[in-house]
Amino acid sequence: MEFEEVFSSKSRMKILKLINQLGQLNVSDVTRRLKLNFTSTSEHLKVLESEGILQERTYGRVRMYRFSETAKAKAVVVLIEAWEKQQPAGNEI
Amino acid sequence: MHLFKNIILTKKQYSLLRNAVVPRQSVFKDESKLDINYIPQKLPHREAQQRLLMEFFNFILRCPEKMAQRVILTGDVGTGKTALAQHFGAEISSEANKRSIKFRYVHVNCREFRGALSPILHRAVTAFRPNYPARGYGAEEILGSLMQVLDEENAHMILTLDEFDSLIEKEGSDAVYKLTRLQEMRQGKPQRLSFIFIMRDLKAIEPLDESAKSTLQRSIIRLERYGKPQLVDILNDRVAMAFELGAVPEDVVDLISELAYTETGNARFGIELLWRAGKYADASDAGSVEAECVRNAVSAIVPSLRRSELASLGLHQKLFLLAVARYFKENKDAYASMGEVEKAYAVVCEEYEETPNSHTQLYNYVQYLSKLGVIKAEIGTAETRGRTNRISLPTIPAVELEREMSESLKQEKSGAA
Repeated sequence: MEFEEVFSSKSRMKILKLINQLGQLNVSDVTRRLKLNFTSTSEHLKVLESEGILQERTYGRVRMYRFSETAKAKAVVVLIEAWEKQQPAGNEI
Repeated sequence: MHLFKNIILTKKQYSLLRNAVVPRQSVFKDESKLDINYIPQKLPHREAQQRLLMEFFNFILRCPEKMAQRVILTGDVGTGKTALAQHFGAEISSEANKRSIKFRYVHVNCREFRGALSPILHRAVTAFRPNYPARGYGAEEILGSLMQVLDEENAHMILTLDEFDSLIEKEGSDAVYKLTRLQEMRQGKPQRLSFIFIMRDLKAIEPLDESAKSTLQRSIIRLERYGKPQLVDILNDRVAMAFELGAVPEDVVDLISELAYTETGNARFGIELLWRAGKYADASDAGSVEAECVRNAVSAIVPSLRRSELASLGLHQKLFLLAVARYFKENKDAYASMGEVEKAYAVVCEEYEETPNSHTQLYNYVQYLSKLGVIKAEIGTAETRGRTNRISLPTIPAVELEREMSESLKQEKSGAA
């Protein structure tokens, strides 16, 4: 998937922000917290996993997503954290 | 001022009014040190047991993957079982940290979850995976997840199951077997999970089958009741931490120790009494805790009734207990038959708009509540035929119990609404 396509979805960005904030979550938890639809949440998570940004951990029937160790994932974390930190001022460099 | 010239205040009203307008000196320096959950830096007269516990578990600091341990801590109410375990937990965690060993001490009160294994294990998993789903998974699955998480993190855990008897009662031998034989299912893998089981009476494990029992009874630490001089030491420690200098005279500590000693050497009772006496001292503006404050506190305290236990009761257990309290409040009899209490329970259920539970269920409540020591149940012979339970309320004033239960039910109902 192209870079712009991965980041073009508001829901996907919200998912990334949430997982960055809470560490590790399962699909139902993401769905509930973001008030999204289960199927589309599941699809977004699959996209982010296939792009190597998230990784899935399976504990029996429990499937939890967290950031993977790839360079892409690390870059996304840096981006989110920089963005969150800069939020109030907005235009500082 | 003329507005108030005809108002005559009682001593209590005057004291309340004065406290509201005039800043007063409290006898307390830090009353949180008398909180039931506070774990002091040192535990007087439990040093030997603490050393023993460390001996049992010091493999965690040397070769954590080679061993797992199971220890039973047993002793009467207020003998320091929970405090000892938590104190030890903090100590071993800090030692492990110094040695860069990934280790967690997790303390769970089984009664808080009414003895159900799944939420207890869930609590342990969330030490590492705080968002692990709370519902929808069985105990075996969660236990599997716990071991997987510990492997992933290369971590070790001591899981303390406080009030373990409630787990035995609810889940029986299978659950105990699952926990204690865990490592056998993981042949060749590193050992990760050790246990401390806390229970008042070893008799609690009697109903278990032989194989489950044998896996438990290896290392047992018994905490004997505190003697009076020991209680004096414990209370003096707390006085120094919680009260202003000189606020609690020596003879008052002695009096409280004596009272706690007669209450089966229950240190928790003594500490609660100390706190309450301090409250009476503040309310009457006494400036120091006098013997009269202790006497007032004693008459208000309900030793056998622990609020944490009451809070964990189910709705119908509370309704049933309220019915028992009302029966004894309205009747002068020392004993009530099961039938009489059932009638009172039906009335209470009507009042709270609940459908009464069956006789068998009520019988279970009687067994449970008498095990908790709130009521006493014995088999009596009915005058007509058959056998019936004779229920009595030996230690708690019916009025107190009624008040406690009504308040608790009110909270539960408003919480549900």
